[in-house]
Amino acid sequence: MAYETVIGLEIHVELDTKSKIFCSCSTEFGAKPNENTCPICTGLPGTLPVLNEEVVNLAIKAGNALNCDMNRINKFDRKNYFYPDLPKAYQISQFDLPICENGYVDIHVDGKNRRINLTRIHLEEDAGKLIHIEDEPVTLVDYNRCGVPLIEIVSEPDMRSAEEAVEFLKNLKAILEYAEVSDCRMEQGSLRCDANISVREVGQEALNTKVEIKNMNSFREILKAIQKEEKRQVELYTFGEGHKIKQETRKWDSSKGRTIPMRSKEDAHDYRYFPEPDLMPVIIAQDTIAKIKQNLPELPSKKKERFVTSYKLSEKEIDILIGKKILADYFEAVISFGADSKEAANWIIVDVLRALKEESNEEMPIKAQYLAGLIKIIDQGKISRTVGKEVFSELITTDQSPEEIVKQKGLSQISGMDQIEKIIVEIIGKNPQAVDDFKNGKAQAVGFLMGQTMKATNGKVNPKLAKEILENKLKEM
Amino acid sequence: MINIEKLTIAEIKKGYIDKKFTVIEIVSAYIDRIKRLDPKINAFITLCEEMALKEAAILDDKIENGEEIGQLGGIPVAIKDNICTKGIKTSCASKVLEDFIAPYDATVVKKLKDAGAIIIGKTNMDEFAMGSSTENSAFKITKNPWDLGKVPGGSSGGSAAALTAGFAPLTIGSDTGGSIRQPAAFCGNVGLKPTYGLVSRYGLIAFASSLDQIGPFTKDVRDCALSLEVLQGNDPLDATSVNDTATKDYLTDLDAGIEGLKIGVPKEFFQEGLDPEIDESIKGSIKKLKEMGATVEEFSLPITESGLSAYYIVSSAEASSNLARYDGVRYGYRAETFEGIEELIVNSRSEAFGKEAKRRIMLGTYVLSSGYYDAYYKKAMLLRKKIKNVFNEAFKRYDIILSPTSPILPFGIGEKTEDPLQMYLADIYTVNINIAGLPAISIPCGFSKSKLPIGVQLIGHHYAEKKLLQAAYNLEQSLGVYKDIPELKGVE
Amino acid sequence: MKITTETINYVAKLAKLKFTQQEADQFANEFEKIFTHFENLDKEDLTGIKLNEFNEVTSVLRKDEMKVFESKKELFQNVKKMRENHISIPKVIE
Repeated sequence: MAYETVIGLEIHVELDTKSKIFCSCSTEFGAKPNENTCPICTGLPGTLPVLNEEVVNLAIKAGNALNCDMNRINKFDRKNYFYPDLPKAYQISQFDLPICENGYVDIHVDGKNRRINLTRIHLEEDAGKLIHIEDEPVTLVDYNRCGVPLIEIVSEPDMRSAEEAVEFLKNLKAILEYAEVSDCRMEQGSLRCDANISVREVGQEALNTKVEIKNMNSFREILKAIQKEEKRQVELYTFGEGHKIKQETRKWDSSKGRTIPMRSKEDAHDYRYFPEPDLMPVIIAQDTIAKIKQNLPELPSKKKERFVTSYKLSEKEIDILIGKKILADYFEAVISFGADSKEAANWIIVDVLRALKEESNEEMPIKAQYLAGLIKIIDQGKISRTVGKEVFSELITTDQSPEEIVKQKGLSQISGMDQIEKIIVEIIGKNPQAVDDFKNGKAQAVGFLMGQTMKATNGKVNPKLAKEILENKLKEM
Repeated sequence: MINIEKLTIAEIKKGYIDKKFTVIEIVSAYIDRIKRLDPKINAFITLCEEMALKEAAILDDKIENGEEIGQLGGIPVAIKDNICTKGIKTSCASKVLEDFIAPYDATVVKKLKDAGAIIIGKTNMDEFAMGSSTENSAFKITKNPWDLGKVPGGSSGGSAAALTAGFAPLTIGSDTGGSIRQPAAFCGNVGLKPTYGLVSRYGLIAFASSLDQIGPFTKDVRDCALSLEVLQGNDPLDATSVNDTATKDYLTDLDAGIEGLKIGVPKEFFQEGLDPEIDESIKGSIKKLKEMGATVEEFSLPITESGLSAYYIVSSAEASSNLARYDGVRYGYRAETFEGIEELIVNSRSEAFGKEAKRRIMLGTYVLSSGYYDAYYKKAMLLRKKIKNVFNEAFKRYDIILSPTSPILPFGIGEKTEDPLQMYLADIYTVNINIAGLPAISIPCGFSKSKLPIGVQLIGHHYAEKKLLQAAYNLEQSLGVYKDIPELKGVE
Repeated sequence: MKITTETINYVAKLAKLKFTQQEADQFANEFEKIFTHFENLDKEDLTGIKLNEFNEVTSVLRKDEMKVFESKKELFQNVKKMRENHISIPKVIE
């Protein structure tokens, strides 16, 4: 019996605005508990919501970038349920007239191109955070996150494997980052994903019972959780116990490595949606949509196409650079200062990325101009590649240009022919045994002598030239 | 001795200019009167004596220095207790918010303060504005100053009674289905519900968001026009508030005649159920209007009965959602015994809400629940659009629509029937106006044989308050009823 | 129309209210009368009226500017139990 997995995703993305969706509180992450609050986002009696215009703009951007149809007139509705992280006991969301419908994201998995369709995108407000105290019957509530603007992106159940789901999510994240809609940081919660998974026999058209999985906090967890749930369902179907699969919400427990059933938030799931009477409908002018579309930054797929035709880089290298807009932009900036594309790609993919990880920073560690400068002086032979790595480390910590660092630390490569010849002659003079070895046909003597040369010059001698001169000198002897 | 209970806003303002009295003297006189007489009337939940006297002193200084004191400078105002006043208890007359201190001022409170008004206290009401008699208050029963055995109407009964009893020359109420107009009629004063959106709702503790409006109680229409100038205006904190008020001035030409004014009287309003004394009094008003040159004509407004159903469905639905935030977590009553969060919420709500509030919450939850949404809420919303259209059509033919404010006279305290449906049916003349978002004013037009006040309601088209106030002013002046004030038998 | 006590109990659960059997029965009774009265809605001709039609309506938006609410202490002065700047409630099991 062959089974097929059917996966749909629900993604919540925090929009990158200065203030919350319905009040002017800050949306900044990491504030002290209940610092970013006011009577409106804490649901105090008598308060009213007023819509932030930037929220609409960013949602239009997202819809454009994801190929959606725009509902130029859309409205808000109240989703009513009780939960301590929801101050008004209703969430202002969009029900029957969301801002965007349809849309798609293209993915490439296992050599196949697939189009994952979207159902809709709608606007809503985020809820607060609950912190459960261990060993005490106490929960603490923080309303900082309450009212942060979200878009909820719902996909069609088009994915067929955990890998496809992750690839979809990675592409979606890249697109939204590029469109500057959100900083999409899963570790900070500005991108959250829930999965709906069902399993059916291959060839069956109807969908079986789906299960919702929550609490997956990284791409890795999403992959594992979906695979685990897939396995759980397939096993039950295989043993004729498919009826045991309930439509429920399960929590991914990463420490236990499995999904466990959750207590449902609203037993009856009767949200009693009705139009939000405190807000006017959202009416988007046609030219607003056109203007936003025009000003949309180059999206990942287009950028990749351009990189493939413009730069002599491998697909793997391009994928890494495209993976983050800030990297791609940085790469092109470095090139604009005259650096060779292959060299630039190499330095960025290896050294810059490593530095970023170590600093866990979002800012590039070295000015593009300086990296280009470093590449240039290595290319010109002014310093060796080894010394270049040293200069790189320096560039991260100081404000100086690579030329200044080289000068200050006296790291200039010795490239003058006369100078090198002098040094070689000295080394040869100090190592008669090696010379004899060479004469006796031991080729590795060259390597030994080169090593001695590098040692004596602290690696500053131009290795290519030194080797040439050394070999010539040895031949002469 | 200042006869404080007789003074209008206009007269007090003039008195300050003519240096007849100081602000402290006026405020003290009101406070003394309140302390003396309110124990029998029960109009106030909170009296702000210290704060008011402090403000009065500041204003007297300003007057001394020849500084501007504002359009309502030195005018004491009492505010219905569902409007947030910073640092002052704002209870909605409910156990739920019995100890709630508002951390901010409602926009209208800010406007009143900026105009120099002095907050003298918070008034009693039906719990969460649900009711028509103020008997649903969790704390006290307000008496009608014209007859202490009768109700003052509701839900703004405290504000209406306070004005009639001479406790302040201006009081503020809220109107969702008649809660300013009906108490105005019951207490014999002027009560205005402005066009929906003309006055900001920010800081008004919500009952039904698409129906609520804040409005003034005053002794006469001139005071009402002045108050409206201060209260109205766009508020960036209220997305449903008017974009920009075309009319800023309601006082100028208030006394322009009403020759040629076209007045329509819906014949469905004069069928059975209308008290005959009220019927007669209204007919008296119609006569006066005709004498002043207005044309008065009967016409058909067939949506009244179903409008009442639509009103109760929509208002309960919105109320059930607006009142869901009262769970004891962030503010308000928290039960003492509970195990776990679920019980905390259920116990707190069940112990603190009164009967009528629970009834509306249940009604509203029911009509919104799955399976019933289409049958009730959706239908009610569709009917609402129809009602708006019907009124729009009517206002193509008429400038003003006239009706009684209430079909019944003020009834006895405790007399109200245990049958909620009966109570709801008495709102027949007022609710459709909220459904359509129209402005309407009730002015006193006469008395019953037992000296109980009768009010007549004038309804205008959206944002046509200027025309509405002109018509009301002319009628009021020709009737002269507004000058009567109660003797307060058995109180003095 | 008939409204049962079961329906009342379901609605009460949604509304987070609890009633005695007697109270629930009374509600069922009252609601029956009220909803029978609401049937006059069915007499109205509502054809051609659309809900999601918004004529003469303009969006209301505010600029994306951050403002701090100063009276933070007053904001939380009505909370019954606070701990380390959080609101404290009985443990919520998820």
